[in-house]
Amino acid sequence: MANIIEIKNITKEFKVLNRREGLMGSIKDLFSGNYTTVRAVDNISMNIEQGEIVGYLGPNGAGKSTTIKMMTGILEPTSGEILVNGSIPYRNRTRNAGEIGVVFGQRSQLWWALPLVESFKLLKEIYEVSDADYEEMLALYRSLVDMDALLHKPVRQMSLGQRTLSDILAAFLHNPKIVFLDEPTIGLDVSMKAKIRTLIQALNKKKNTTVILTTHDMGDVDALCQRIVIIDKGKMLYDNDIEHLKGFFGSYRTLKIRTDGDMAQIAEEIRHALPWASVAADDHWISVLVDEEKATVMEVLAKLQQAYTIRDMQLEEISTEEVIKKIYEEGVQ
Amino acid sequence: MKRKTPGFYLRIYAKILAQDLKSKMSYRADFIISTIGMICTNIAGFISFWILFRNFPSVAGWNYYEMLFLYGFSLVSLTPVQCFFDNNWSLRSYVYSGDFIKYCFRPINLFFYYQSEVFDIKGLGQFAFGIGTIAYAWSKLGLGFTPLMLLKLMIFLFSASLIMIALQNAAAATCFWIQNSFYVLDLVTRFKDYAKYPVTIFSPVFRFLFTFVMPIAFIAYYPSIVILRPQEVPLLSWLSPVIALVFFFCSYKFWMYGATRYSGTGS
Repeated sequence: MANIIEIKNITKEFKVLNRREGLMGSIKDLFSGNYTTVRAVDNISMNIEQGEIVGYLGPNGAGKSTTIKMMTGILEPTSGEILVNGSIPYRNRTRNAGEIGVVFGQRSQLWWALPLVESFKLLKEIYEVSDADYEEMLALYRSLVDMDALLHKPVRQMSLGQRTLSDILAAFLHNPKIVFLDEPTIGLDVSMKAKIRTLIQALNKKKNTTVILTTHDMGDVDALCQRIVIIDKGKMLYDNDIEHLKGFFGSYRTLKIRTDGDMAQIAEEIRHALPWASVAADDHWISVLVDEEKATVMEVLAKLQQAYTIRDMQLEEISTEEVIKKIYEEGVQ
Repeated sequence: MKRKTPGFYLRIYAKILAQDLKSKMSYRADFIISTIGMICTNIAGFISFWILFRNFPSVAGWNYYEMLFLYGFSLVSLTPVQCFFDNNWSLRSYVYSGDFIKYCFRPINLFFYYQSEVFDIKGLGQFAFGIGTIAYAWSKLGLGFTPLMLLKLMIFLFSASLIMIALQNAAAATCFWIQNSFYVLDLVTRFKDYAKYPVTIFSPVFRFLFTFVMPIAFIAYYPSIVILRPQEVPLLSWLSPVIALVFFFCSYKFWMYGATRYSGTGS
């Protein structure tokens, strides 16, 4: 399959004024040439194929938005090459815009006062969608979501969930090659999240649309992405299958125990006894994250059983969320 | 993809406009109250103008009806900026909050798309009032009526509007660089109040300022002379359509330059 997005060693630097404190500082800043160069994106390369769903992850301020802005043509990279759908997005912003769809979780792009169906009609004109394609898309939408509840409602009267749903539908309306979804499930309830994930998946399957998804919700990642890319401080940390990720840090499992006595204190003792494991405690459970290459869960359990009276135990496989958290906190060794 | 034609943009604008009017009508109370407010503003403006002329029979050699003509002319030429470019007032907050980015993802002209979002229907009342005033002053002055004069009036009204639009665009676009561009926009709006007076009443410094720096004299004074005093038209009057086009084009480029330079706040 052909690459729809090709990124080669892109870097984006911003000049940031070193601000001083206080009123006098602000006045001095007016005449200051004291800039620092901040590297928001640092030498990132990746290729994305048509039809992939890629989870683009990273902690806040990692450079995700900056990369997306470069892919959508809003920002020009400081250096490096970027090709989206065969052309340079920054040079051909308007042309590129016709082939992509963008959704920001918190910012609706629809006309606030208009019912959804009128927004759709305007988008149909703007993107020059033929009547047949438009009808086909609407029919597809009807088969996926309850359109009657949405179509004739002004966007401003919609709930956040309905609005996000509408924004996603609007982004796919012109059958773009790529859709960028920036935190599409932020602030939504569990059932709405599930609905949105199903919708994204279905649209990706039916239309073979490439989806670039940034999110902080690992539920989104587990449900949608085969591949994830993680960046932090502008640098690429990981780019591979999600399955691969779980083995990336060795085989981790979480052992949860409930003991007699002061749990917080016991947790502290375990932390000392097993310095290589990460230990956390809440009111009910002490969780020990065990690296099975260092010691098996059974060995740890046996050790703990000698020292404490264990009332109850649970064993958990590591979740994507925990792996990602580990990468954010500790990086990749 | 082929280049979009003016016809394409016109069609899109008509559709957005129709939708916008429909949704505005649905807030009936708001619509009625703002219409009444607009009528009151115009009446108040006229009354203060009238009081001025109760005390001074003429201003710098301009009599009451000539001044009335100037007043009507400025009302009409200020209409398009209010009707079609009112979204410039919101630009600052869109840029500040980062919401401006949503306009950058459409495959059409950014400036057009942004301005098309808002149509301020209240301007139409001002337009009607202005036309009425011009017609009244015209008949009282006994200027006569030929198709050529009407054509001149239309061309000069158009170029005057364009100047005001350009001024506002440029003022609004400053928000891409400075945080508090409201004051720039407000300043321009306040200065436009001087547009309804003959520029000759001001001191030479202001005359220069209003002609070459902030060209509000082109909103009513220079174009009106063409109709009112055909025998003493200065060169600047004849040039005003060209100046308007150039100025509008520059302000558009400035606006677009700011917009493409804009990268949005982090999200």
